[in-house]
Amino acid sequence: MIHVYLPELGENASKATISYWYFEVGATVTEGSDLVEVATDKATFNVPAPCSGTLTEITAKEGDVVLAGGVLAAIEEDTAPEEEDDREINASG
Amino acid sequence: MKSPVLFKKNLAVSYAAPRILDAGLLAYQEALALQEKTVAEVISGWGTETLIVCEHPPVVTYGRRTPMENILVKPGVLRAAGIDLCPADRGGDVTYHGPGQLVLYPVLDLRRRGRDLHFYLRQLELCVINALRDHYGLNAYRKQGLTGVWVGPYKVASIGIGVKNWVTYHGVAVNVANDMAPFDMIRACGRDGRMAAIASFFRDEHLPVQEVKECLIESFREIFFQNDGGPTR
Repeated sequence: MIHVYLPELGENASKATISYWYFEVGATVTEGSDLVEVATDKATFNVPAPCSGTLTEITAKEGDVVLAGGVLAAIEEDTAPEEEDDREINASG
Repeated sequence: MKSPVLFKKNLAVSYAAPRILDAGLLAYQEALALQEKTVAEVISGWGTETLIVCEHPPVVTYGRRTPMENILVKPGVLRAAGIDLCPADRGGDVTYHGPGQLVLYPVLDLRRRGRDLHFYLRQLELCVINALRDHYGLNAYRKQGLTGVWVGPYKVASIGIGVKNWVTYHGVAVNVANDMAPFDMIRACGRDGRMAAIASFFRDEHLPVQEVKECLIESFREIFFQNDGGPTR
């Protein structure tokens, strides 16, 4: 399980408001894709998914104010394909 | 023996020089698409940091969290006035863009610039302040706790940015010689006071938008690319 945190956004930006979730719980996400948009002052910031996998939990809903370092979500990371499966595919091919 | 030297030299040039795209009159949605493409290129590491400068046909834009009551008239009234209505994924509230207003959309990589959103907002303000002070002698300033640029009691520039993977888009809109009447159709920001165009401070003189554009671009280069060695914090 990988947790998604609100990064430090600058010296005077210790907190941000969750403005938009791009996915719902249960969705498959790809590493680096936009996961959640947060807003601070006159800026929006897209927090990317730190890994590929399934979004299993959203801990801050739209409108919530979160401190830098706070947990936003959890992702169950994709597991790598097992070597045995590869061998079976190769053998059948 | 020569190849490595040339390679290093080319790298230094592309790192230090921003690409300036003067897009002229550009539809808001087209500007969004252009920014999206440029942001993706810079995130990938293959694109060059870019300043897109343009004017928009009349359009009211609003962010995801903009209360719709801040648009004071019905969409039909906007349409009748020839003003489009477009959503935007940026910070800030509802705003208006139109011909005569210069819009600067810097696509900059904040991973190389200290990863500080508020510092970047202050730099954008400084870009406008320096241009207005140095070239036009206007006492432009920022207000503590607010974002934008003011001259006297009037707000002359509005700022709203978006950041993706620490690469910026959206930016700053400077009211140069645009019609200010459409701002009466929206509630841009209650604390910001009235807005004005810079041209209104030069009643007896013509203020060419192209000239102001060149001053802003020069100021942008000085703020964000002042050293030959590359971007500065």
